[in-house]
Amino acid sequence: MAAIEFQGVSKVFADGTRAVDSLDLMVNEAEFMVLVGPSGCGKTTALRMVAGLEEISEGTILIGGNVVNDVSPKERDIAMVFQNYALYPHMSVADNLGFGLKLRKVPRSERRRRIQQAAETLGLEPYLDRKPRALSGGQRQRVAMGRAIVREPRAFLMDEPLSNLDAKLRVQVRAEIHSLQRVSGVTTIYVTHDQTEAMTMGDRIAVLRDGTLQQVDTPERVYQRPANQFVAGFIGSPAMNLVDARLTRANGSLVAHFGDHSLEVDNELVAEHPELLAYEGKDVVLGIRPEDLEDAAFVGEVPPGRILEAVCNLREALGSEELLHFPVTAEANAGEPIGLLDRKNVMLLARVDPQSKMREGDRLRLVADTRRLYFFDPTTGRAIFADQKQVPGAKS
Amino acid sequence: MITPWIRRHRKSSKSVSSQGLMLPGHRMPRIRRRRNPVSGLTNQGLISPSDWKRPSVRWGVGATHMLLLVALVVIGLGPLLWLAKAAITPTNDIFNHPLSLTFAHGAAWSNLRTAWSTVQVGHYLLNTIEICFGSWLVQLTVATTGGYVLSVLRPRYARVVTAMLLVTLFLPAIVLLVPLYLMIVNPPLIHHSFMNSYWAVWLPAGASSFNVIIMKRFFDNLPRELFEAARIDGAGPVRLFFSVVLPMSKPILGVVSVFAFIAEWKNFLWPFLVLQDPNKQPISVRLPAIAGQTQLGVFLAAMLIACIVPIVGFLIFQRSFLRGSGLGGAIKG
Ligand SMILES: Nc1ncnc2c1ncn2[C@@H]1O[C@H](COP(=O)(O)OP(=O)(O)O)[C@@H](O)[C@H]1O
Ligand SMILES: [Mg+2]
Repeated sequence: MAAIEFQGVSKVFADGTRAVDSLDLMVNEAEFMVLVGPSGCGKTTALRMVAGLEEISEGTILIGGNVVNDVSPKERDIAMVFQNYALYPHMSVADNLGFGLKLRKVPRSERRRRIQQAAETLGLEPYLDRKPRALSGGQRQRVAMGRAIVREPRAFLMDEPLSNLDAKLRVQVRAEIHSLQRVSGVTTIYVTHDQTEAMTMGDRIAVLRDGTLQQVDTPERVYQRPANQFVAGFIGSPAMNLVDARLTRANGSLVAHFGDHSLEVDNELVAEHPELLAYEGKDVVLGIRPEDLEDAAFVGEVPPGRILEAVCNLREALGSEELLHFPVTAEANAGEPIGLLDRKNVMLLARVDPQSKMREGDRLRLVADTRRLYFFDPTTGRAIFADQKQVPGAKS
Repeated sequence: MITPWIRRHRKSSKSVSSQGLMLPGHRMPRIRRRRNPVSGLTNQGLISPSDWKRPSVRWGVGATHMLLLVALVVIGLGPLLWLAKAAITPTNDIFNHPLSLTFAHGAAWSNLRTAWSTVQVGHYLLNTIEICFGSWLVQLTVATTGGYVLSVLRPRYARVVTAMLLVTLFLPAIVLLVPLYLMIVNPPLIHHSFMNSYWAVWLPAGASSFNVIIMKRFFDNLPRELFEAARIDGAGPVRLFFSVVLPMSKPILGVVSVFAFIAEWKNFLWPFLVLQDPNKQPISVRLPAIAGQTQLGVFLAAMLIACIVPIVGFLIFQRSFLRGSGLGGAIKG
């Protein structure tokens, strides 16, 4: 077990691609750190630099306090789980598990004990003599995990280990990996593009975009206080609604106008974040999470400043919840436009009670939780709520 | 009626396209003809089971099949069968009735015995086997290690070397005959002639860029994550080669081995040039040399023995050569 630290780490590939850009990140001992970001943002590259499979162009990586820039993968004493498992096809499951131990000259009896133990933990005992090709996807995934566990390394590195599993298995294995890490207490860096995995597994999550770190924090904090517009849109499912809005003052309250709509910002929110006042009379980007919009039929009497009216465009019933899509006219460069050329309409999403009677074409009356609005600076994309320690240079 | 055909067809076309010729580790698509229980005929092909039911199709196609099969046997096996027959026919009968299917004066089994004892086919066959085995070993060593360096270890100069190897593919082997000969007579650094020693055949056999390139192409297609996993597991380059790369390359090792063996078995010109001591010559060189002083019947018997050995050998080893254990399960779910 060891802490892993990135100090100003960059990776520039031979073709000039800057896959990781001055990454500063501290992964504490026994911590489960998730690197999350869209495809191509440099997660894998960052992980491979820790493993020693990729040279570090700039900066230093420390494992357990020692600089490992020039240490071979073998001597870093870390284990990696690959996206496609990378099991040795010609070896039995037992040999796959034991290969690393054998190369490290672990005595035979000790080797057998550890293989047995890992097989028990992962439910692989009946398959120890099989070749990988005779295993199902989930079992192969377990063998890959087992190969990491038996080594008892200082850190686990996992690169999207669940992406080849079907949805149901993914949920199951996700929980298994999570509890396994809890029990073993091995420092883990876990790479994924899936924000659900990040939210459910990580002690902390680090959001990457185009090789730059956007925010590092606990899942709750990242969700509740996204550092910028990008993180706000990326973390949370369905994604946060983002529209260009204008803040004005009416009847003593701040009001956010977008298109034909306006929402009164809750006074409590303004009191908590007085820096919002500086944006009075200015443009902002307004964020509302879909779960903070509810069908008015399920909420009691509310002031008119919390009501949004629009026409329902699409309804998706998921059983436990219902998603209503509705367009609003807004000078939008923040949200998701409707159609390619249409920048004047954005599609917003509300996650409402599954009992809602709203259907396509109906006029929606939605109540917004105006205590939970998000505001971003339209030029920098940063969150206006300044209590978040911000990552310098993190643009939207 | 047509669905099973489509299903099977899809399956097979998928396995072929995902494997390709050089893709590692897959089993060679095993074609097993299944008989359709309804029509009693194979249902894999252009003609659907329902077509098979029509008598005109049945007879027409059936007759064509038979004709083609007979033609193929005559063309392909004919000379070999003739040789087999002639090998046990008295020399006079061979001259008088070369195409006769019967034995006018009885079979001359003594031909075989004479070939073995007087012509010493056995001795020269052993020479051939020794030469083949040595060149096979040298070729495989050069091809695997060369391919490994160029594909897996990939030093900076690998691209240049690969390009140069490709260029040598365009050189006709004949052009190299004289320089190679001079090099064998007076090898650089060693300065001790290899003439009349098997090294003169073995070493040049290794200088096959074709084998190296085939190996490299195969290694290129092995998943790199496997090598990376092994490196993280603690394998150095040598361990990686023997414990991971070679065991995964059985199919291509089989292919290269077969080519290497067959090529050396029938090689004539080079052993003829460098092995002048008759005792050391392989059978391919020896047979033409003795043709003049030997009875035709005995000579043909010697030829038959020389042919039978590789055929039997191939039949014995083909399964283990051409069927790799495969890559299944290495990657993906
Ligand atoms: N070997 C390479 N050479 C050049 N560019 C690369 C190489 N590997 C990755 N990249 C680029 O670096 C960026 C980050 O890649 P990667 O770390 O694989 O992203 P992620 O894992 O987050 O999807 C991508 O733009 C990718 O195209
Ligand atoms: Mg990746």
